[in-house]
Amino acid sequence: MMKKIISLLLLTILLIPVMTMASERLPKPEKMVLGNGLTVYFLKNPELPLVSFRVLIPGAGSAFEPRGSDGLANLTATLLLKGTAKMSAEEIAEALDFMGARLRVADAEEYAAVYGESLSEHLPKLLQIAADCLISPAFKQDEYQKELARKTDSLKSLKDNPGSALRLYFRKAYFGEHPFGHLSTGTDSSLKKMSLEEIKKFYSARYRPDTSIIAVVGNIDKEPLLELLNKTIGQWPKPAAAPLPVIIPPIPAPKGKKLILVDKPDATQSYFSLGSRGLAVADQMSARASLMNILFGGRFTSWLNTELRIKRGLTYGASSSFQSWKNGGIFLASSYTKNDKIGEMLDITFDLLKKAREKGFSEEEAESARNYLLGQFPQTLETNSSKAGAYLRIIFYDLGFDYYDRYLNEITGARARDLNQAAAKLLPDKDFVLVVVGRGDEVKKILSRYGQFQEKKITDPDF
Amino acid sequence: MRNRFLLILLGVMLMTAFLQASFTKQDIKVYQLDNGLKIIFFEDHKIPSISYYTFFRVGSRNERPGLTGVSHYIEHMMFNGTTKFGPGEFDRIMEFYGGANNAYTSDDMTAYTDWFPPHALEKMIEMEADRMQGLIFDPEVFESERGVVASERRMGVENNNEAILYENVRATAIMAHPYHWDVIGWMSDILSWRRDEVIQYYRTYYAPNNAVLVVVGDFDSQKTLELIKKYYSGIPAQTPPPPVTTAEPPQMGRKEVVIKKEAQTPSFLVVYHAPRCQDADFFALSVMEKPLLQGESSRLYRRLVRDEQLAISVYGGIEEKIDPFLFSINVKPRPGADLDKIEKIIDEELNKIINDGLTEQEYQKAMNIIRSDFYFGLQTNSGKANLLGASELLFGSYEHLFTIVDRYSQVKREEIPAVAKKYFHELNKTVGKLIPQGGN
Repeated sequence: MMKKIISLLLLTILLIPVMTMASERLPKPEKMVLGNGLTVYFLKNPELPLVSFRVLIPGAGSAFEPRGSDGLANLTATLLLKGTAKMSAEEIAEALDFMGARLRVADAEEYAAVYGESLSEHLPKLLQIAADCLISPAFKQDEYQKELARKTDSLKSLKDNPGSALRLYFRKAYFGEHPFGHLSTGTDSSLKKMSLEEIKKFYSARYRPDTSIIAVVGNIDKEPLLELLNKTIGQWPKPAAAPLPVIIPPIPAPKGKKLILVDKPDATQSYFSLGSRGLAVADQMSARASLMNILFGGRFTSWLNTELRIKRGLTYGASSSFQSWKNGGIFLASSYTKNDKIGEMLDITFDLLKKAREKGFSEEEAESARNYLLGQFPQTLETNSSKAGAYLRIIFYDLGFDYYDRYLNEITGARARDLNQAAAKLLPDKDFVLVVVGRGDEVKKILSRYGQFQEKKITDPDF
Repeated sequence: MRNRFLLILLGVMLMTAFLQASFTKQDIKVYQLDNGLKIIFFEDHKIPSISYYTFFRVGSRNERPGLTGVSHYIEHMMFNGTTKFGPGEFDRIMEFYGGANNAYTSDDMTAYTDWFPPHALEKMIEMEADRMQGLIFDPEVFESERGVVASERRMGVENNNEAILYENVRATAIMAHPYHWDVIGWMSDILSWRRDEVIQYYRTYYAPNNAVLVVVGDFDSQKTLELIKKYYSGIPAQTPPPPVTTAEPPQMGRKEVVIKKEAQTPSFLVVYHAPRCQDADFFALSVMEKPLLQGESSRLYRRLVRDEQLAISVYGGIEEKIDPFLFSINVKPRPGADLDKIEKIIDEELNKIINDGLTEQEYQKAMNIIRSDFYFGLQTNSGKANLLGASELLFGSYEHLFTIVDRYSQVKREEIPAVAKKYFHELNKTVGKLIPQGGN
């Protein structure tokens, strides 16, 4: 007991400097609004001759695709870089590679994003290209055909890898008809019915400056940056029409068990994902849930990894996480093992979930989780690009610039009972979705003890 | 690679770089203890965090048949108990103090990469020093960890078509040198390593005179040096490990590996024997690889992916290795693509470089890529620590890092055709194909 008190005191004392520094230096970015309504957040960081920026376009993500058009948001974003009114796809690629610059487009569920990064001296050219891609994409038929073919082929090769296949099957199984069930990769049937017209339509309806935000972090001063932005992305015209609503239906929560087995006859291991209701980004419980998850499956010495990997050597890795969006989220636990061990692995996973819900974690574990989360904070946003990402996150999810202070305070104040409440509330008991990808003839019998599995063949089209 | 817990929890926390430190050769401090341990420091106080990297000069290059994969296995066992800290204690204590880590083994080296808040420094030094000499290899844990590595091999190689093909091609191209096998090792070796042999291997290679310590971040050099002396000085130096003397004999003709297995898409790979990283030709090939296959503007991407539409992607190049290794060109073909045609196009593009070299624009592009990648790599404490350590182990000195960009710019555009001609020819080539059986 004495030892415990001393160690608690010691760590409290030691952690104070870290906390204070974090909060003192939490740099609030400068905010500017360009003539076309685009909101800019800027922080100067002169450490290296580099600049990063990120543009977030709300409403242009996969959740806003019409039903059955999986991959539309992704194809739209991808084609932005494949030719504009001024430059061909080759010219864009050549100009970017020539500078050693990075320019990527991506689609998440809730938004599309453009990420750019280069030496400071190349920023004018990079921003000019990025703006050109956002403002006047050419959407040429031949480029579209090429991207569509590439996507169709990638979809096949994804199914060769059980881990990647599992992610896609799980998403369909969990979200079903909900827009978060749309697969960025596309599906066999969605890609067959895709059209360039649909992409053009999605772009015109969904990409606009006045609802978008850009964060810029790096070695550049405010005045030259503003001038540069006005000349480039500031020229993106604001459409006359009012923005489309960006409403996403409530995220589904499983009722009862949904069990799916995907037969992959050449798999030497079985991969599983178990998912259940999680929480929204801004949820009051999110800090406590993070701490709880660190202990359950969010780090190397977590319960899950300790029992499945460290003690039994069943797997190379086992983990759990919360994935959160604006209006909800999921809890997800995953691992893999030899086909004949999948039953043992699932039994242990269910036992641990039960133990966490019913018995919970000790005060010493809670302390370790707090230290871990606080100790790992600083380097997670060490780069320009990760800082830019954090700004967009704060703005998009409406968290407020004191978010990290509040978050840290909450972490610091959390005790075992808070974590245990989160575990009891959030870890699945009877309501979950379980998807297994493995060798059917070997695992079918083992799995039958958990209930009736719906069976799929990996070679069948779609998911 | 030992674990993948890369901070799922984090979309979080902001730090600026108001206290910036310059990163030049003069800012690096270097020490060596009497037992041979080399220490490299770079103080940088911009975030309250320290990256503490330990590099051992041991990798699969130092193994022999029967013991393949053992370097990587010891990397796992380094977390499984010493006389002072029981199995799993290292991770438990480190995480309790707010630290996290990873580790990796390559053909040439094994690195232990810790990052933690400053208050954890002494505890981390104590535990790192302890496991440099005190592993117990508990027989039960020994067996359980064997299972983890077997699972890692199943996941990483046997359930991954590209990895299966790569392992086969590499073992075909390289006959004699220990680069013949992959870091993970052969399954039959994984299943039969003997505990006494593994312990012997550990004793030989995990010695202070075979290690380099790199510390970057928020610490005080003088105090930290004292702590390092306190915990590491008592570790005795060992007889230096035997040098690797096997040299790969010249290849006498084109080799080909064809694998037939269940798959939805084929895989394709071409490799050529290539020089070690300290060879002058290494830099020329490294310049050449950028316009050849890096990025969507590269020659091979344009032809294979865009123009002929035979492939989904192409990547590869030369790797920094202590001994001569391979220049590889990996192609992910489209389903049903003509693999012979892919090979022919690669030949054509390589011959164009042999005959006409790079354009001025391509040459300049390579230089720009090298310069910006260099800065991208320096953005974090861990990035700096990794580059300092790799320079020390692969190029002979950390100082190399500060001249690397200049070293590349010494490559003349005119010398590239001759260097390309030396390596990219039929006798030096191994081709691998994975052809799907059933379906497709």
